[in-house]
Amino acid sequence: MTMTPDIETWVRASAMVGAGLSIGFGAIGAAVGEGHTAACANSAISRNPALAGDIFKTMLVGQAVAESAGIFALVVAMILLFSTVSVFSWLEAAVLLSSGLCMGLGAIGSGVGSGFPAGAACIGTSRQPGMSGRLTTNMLIGSAVCQTPSIFALVVAFILIFTDFSARPLSPTWAAILGAGLATGFGAIGSGIGSGLVAETSCEGVARQPLAATPVTNVMLLGQAVSQTTVIYGILVSFILIFKAFEASSALAPAMALLSAGLCVGIGAIGPGMGIGAAAHGAVRWIARNEKSIGEVTRVMLVGAAVTESTAIYSLVVALVLVFVV
Amino acid sequence: MENLGMVHQLMITVMGRKMTFNLDVIVMTWIVIGLLLLFGYLATRGKSLVPGRFQVVGELFVEQFFGLTEDALDKEMAKKYGPLICALFMFLVLSNWIGVLPHLHEPTKDLNTPLSLGIMGFFIAHHAGIRAKGFKGYAKEYFQPFFFMAPLNVIGEIAKVVSISFRLFGNIMGGSIIILVVSHLTYSILLPPVLNGFFGIFVGTIQAFVFTMLTVVYISVQVK
Repeated sequence: MTMTPDIETWVRASAMVGAGLSIGFGAIGAAVGEGHTAACANSAISRNPALAGDIFKTMLVGQAVAESAGIFALVVAMILLFSTVSVFSWLEAAVLLSSGLCMGLGAIGSGVGSGFPAGAACIGTSRQPGMSGRLTTNMLIGSAVCQTPSIFALVVAFILIFTDFSARPLSPTWAAILGAGLATGFGAIGSGIGSGLVAETSCEGVARQPLAATPVTNVMLLGQAVSQTTVIYGILVSFILIFKAFEASSALAPAMALLSAGLCVGIGAIGPGMGIGAAAHGAVRWIARNEKSIGEVTRVMLVGAAVTESTAIYSLVVALVLVFVV
Repeated sequence: MENLGMVHQLMITVMGRKMTFNLDVIVMTWIVIGLLLLFGYLATRGKSLVPGRFQVVGELFVEQFFGLTEDALDKEMAKKYGPLICALFMFLVLSNWIGVLPHLHEPTKDLNTPLSLGIMGFFIAHHAGIRAKGFKGYAKEYFQPFFFMAPLNVIGEIAKVVSISFRLFGNIMGGSIIILVVSHLTYSILLPPVLNGFFGIFVGTIQAFVFTMLTVVYISVQVK
């Protein structure tokens, strides 16, 4: 005799699947980033074995920051597993699944990204032992800013969990909820990796040219901020999908439009996020070598970033059309 | 945990439109403004060549941000925009730090604060652009590199306001949510001071600096 599971079972199942997806995807990025850091630390120690202790410390600090995206995913997974669910509806099931997916995907980029500056700081310490303090500071600032995309994913996951959807119609709200999670989740991947690339060259730059440390850090912050523009488009679409009340409709088309709006802006943000990161990566590298041309290099970086970003703006426009017109 | 996302609101109807005031945010903003005014008074009271304690901190802020504005714009324009940039940073950094104290909340945690500062920066940058290049030169920028790119350029400009304000809001809001949730999960043992130090002080300072830097850069992109 087969038994159809009731709604309560489905909601509990969705909480567990959401928790699994959250920490499952979330573990990818942090592990890759930390592994990269350890590889760089090994090569740094083989270059300059006398500094093994310092390099080891830098590696551990860098890995600790790189892991924080994974810890955010763990927090969301714990909440999904252990918080008591009182509402049993299909919308609640969608919320739990979507928040787990959002946090899990959102942690990938930041984890990979913040491994880059930590690795560069280890190598930098071996080349330029006198700058190890400044290098660690620069690495910490860079990695902390790398965490921004995963923090955005966390914000969206929490807003999804704590918003009261009970007065909304089931269709198309379920699609809006899933779309909201996917928009920020996918969107955070590119920005996280991109801002990691920028932070990597800034650590290299500080080690190469200690006198240019301040402008290198400033331009790094600027580049990281610009590369995170794309995840902000994702979070914008997520907020619209969460807070806009959609009319009830039993047709599939409006629901699919909302789901694909989230997918569109999310996946569309991956490439530009990394691309802008690459632009700023180049700018920061050359400012460390030629500090005098900082004005020109920064301007070219901003223009290049703006052009790279245009594809993210196309997907934002398409997503807004899908939400408001279709 | 239960009061997450709860806001004290005052709703009044003015000429048929419902207006909503977030009382917490208004009070917190007044506290920040009051503290800044007090700091300004203490820093400038009894100015001397050998600076006092508050004067040193004040000079540090002014020197740093004047230098930054000079690098991005030029000496002449730095005189005009320097005070604005310096004040913007001091307001933002104090706003982001104030949540560390119990019972106080960051005004920047509410999207209204960063969004209004972002819109302010947008208008200042475009006004500066029109002043520097004349309206014709300013309008011509929108038709670069091809004339049919104009709608996308306009969307790109509006997207700047969205990105600058959501960046600050998301970071501060995210930090405060993490502090609240993790403290709740660990029964407030050991972790809250560390979290407040990282998300309140460290991330708060960086994000205030990023917001200020971006405002300067937006002005300089319009002017040059």
